[in-house]
Amino acid sequence: MLDDVISAYNEAVLDTDRVHALQIVSDAVAQGISPEEIVFKVVIPGLDLMVNAISEGFDINLAQHFMTSQIAADVTEKMLVLFKAPPEIYGRVIIGTAAGDLHTLGKRIVIGCLKAQMIDVTDLGVNVAAEKFVDEAVARNAQVIGVSAMMVHTARGENGAIKVRKLLRDQGLEHKIKLVVGGAPFRYDPGLYRIVQADAWAENGVSALKVIMDCIQEVKSYDHKHG
Amino acid sequence: MTTSMDRLAAAANGRIIDHIPIFCNLLDQGARELGMSIETYFSRGEYVAEAQLRMLKKFGHDNVWSLFYVGKEAELFGCKKILYADDGPPNVEDFIIQSYDDIEKLAVPDDIGSHPKFAETAKCLEILKREVGGKVPVCAYLTASMSLPALLMSMENWLELLMMGPVDSRDLLLQKCSDFFRKEIAAYRKAGADVLVYADPYGSTDIIPMKLFRELSLEWMKRDLEPGGLDGVVYYVGAARLNSVLEHVIREMGFQTYYPSPLEDIGESMRIINDRALCAGVINDIKLLDWTPDEVRAEVQRIVQCGLGGGNKFFFGTVVMPYGIPDENIKAMIDTAKEFGRSAHSGY
Repeated sequence: MLDDVISAYNEAVLDTDRVHALQIVSDAVAQGISPEEIVFKVVIPGLDLMVNAISEGFDINLAQHFMTSQIAADVTEKMLVLFKAPPEIYGRVIIGTAAGDLHTLGKRIVIGCLKAQMIDVTDLGVNVAAEKFVDEAVARNAQVIGVSAMMVHTARGENGAIKVRKLLRDQGLEHKIKLVVGGAPFRYDPGLYRIVQADAWAENGVSALKVIMDCIQEVKSYDHKHG
Repeated sequence: MTTSMDRLAAAANGRIIDHIPIFCNLLDQGARELGMSIETYFSRGEYVAEAQLRMLKKFGHDNVWSLFYVGKEAELFGCKKILYADDGPPNVEDFIIQSYDDIEKLAVPDDIGSHPKFAETAKCLEILKREVGGKVPVCAYLTASMSLPALLMSMENWLELLMMGPVDSRDLLLQKCSDFFRKEIAAYRKAGADVLVYADPYGSTDIIPMKLFRELSLEWMKRDLEPGGLDGVVYYVGAARLNSVLEHVIREMGFQTYYPSPLEDIGESMRIINDRALCAGVINDIKLLDWTPDEVRAEVQRIVQCGLGGGNKFFFGTVVMPYGIPDENIKAMIDTAKEFGRSAHSGY
C-alpha cells in the first residue's frame, strides 16, 4: 500500500495539485500508515526524487518548484504534531534576502524544502544586513547562511554575500558556517558564486536542499574531526 | 541616410539595409551618464530623455527607452514607496495588495495619460519624439495582466494566489490588471511610443505549467491586446524561455516581433518562427560585467551568425544590462553586432 501512496503523492506534486496530495496523505494516515512513514518514506524521498530529476535535466517550472516545496512543508507540519517522539534535527540554517533585495519567492521555496527535511530554518526576511546574518547564525549555532538575491546589484553588492564572507573570515567562522547563495543572477552566471566568495550556490529552490544538506554535512564532519 | 526606423522596417520585411537593428536596454546607465544618483535621475522626464539621447549618440544602437523602472506601473496603481539603490534598478517596496481583500479595493486609474505619476514619462516621450521621432524607435515597457500582479503583491504572493488561492480573487485581479493594461497601452500610443514591449514572464512555461499558460496567459493576452491591436507590440517574457510556447503564441496571437530569453537557443527560435515574424537574438548581458571586450565580441558574433542563419527577420537585443557594465563592453557589443549583422555573413 505504501508504494501506491508514494506513487500517487509524487504524481499529485508534479501536477501541482496540493488538495489531492493532502487528501492522499490524509487517507493514508486513516488507513494506518504512520506519520513518521509519511514524512520519511513519502515526502522526503519525493523531494529527493525531484532534486535528482532536476539534476538529470528534467525541466520543471517555477510553479512546480513552489508547489513541491509548499506541499512538502504543509504535509510535514501536519505530520510532525502526530509523531510519537520529536524527530532529530538534521541541521540549522539562517536564511534571508541580501541587503537591498525585496524578492522573497526563492527563499520561500528553499524554506519549505528545508523544513520537510527536518532542518531548523530561521527566516530573517528581506533586505538583511550582513552583520545580522552572521550574528544570528552564531546565536543559533547554524551551519549554513543562505543569501538569496534576485537582482545583479544585490547579488554582487558589497553589503550582500561578499560582506557576509568578510565577517565570517574576520571572526574565524569559515569552518563552522558555510555561505550558500541563490537567485536569478547566479543562474545566468554560474561562476558568480565564486566572485561573491560563497561556498556554494543552487540553481533553484528545490536543488538548494541538496546543496545546503551537503554544506551542513561538511561542517558536521569538520566539527567531528576537530572536536 | 539610413535611420534606425528604416533598419527596423527592413528587418520586419526580411531585409538588411546596412546592418540588423540593435536594441539595447540602457536604463540605469543614464544616471551615470548625467553624473547623478539613480533616484535623482528618475525624478524627471527631462533627465531620462537627455540621457537616452546622449547614450544613443555615444553607442550608436537603434532605440531609445521611455521606461524609467518597472515599479512605475505599481505607482500608477497607488504604490507609495520605491526602494532606490546606488547601482541598480529601483524596486517596489510597498506592495499595495497585502491581502485578498485589497483586490476588491484596488482602483484602476480612469485616465493614465493624465495621471500625475505618468507626467514625467509623458514629458520624456515628448522630448524623445521631438528629437528623434520617426528616425529612432521609441520603446515603452508594459507589463501584461498575467504578470502585473507580481508588482502589486510580490512574486511570491502572486504565485501563491495563482496556484492555491481563491479563483474569484485571482480572476478579479486579472480583470483589473487587464483593464489597466488597455488604458496604459492607449496612453503610451497616444504619447508617441512606437515599440510597445508586452512584458509577460508569466507567459512562459519556465514559470507556470502549460495548462495554465493555455487557460490563463493566452486568454488574458487576447483580452489585453484586443482593443488596440498588435501594431508595434513585441512579445517579451523577460529572462524566461519562450520556445516552448512560441508556436501557440504565433498561432493564437500573431505578434509581429518576439524577444526570447538569452538562455534560449536562437537558432531554434528562428526555426519555430520560420519567417512569420521578427525575432531578437538576445545576449546574456549579466556576463558583460566581467567579460573582456574580446569575449563580448565572440559571443555577439555567435548570436548574430546563428540568428541570421535562420533568415533576415532578425535583430540583436539585450535584457537587464546591469548598471556596472563598462562602456567599452557596451561599445564592443554594439560594434560587433553591426559588423556581423550584415547579410553577407548570414551563411552560418
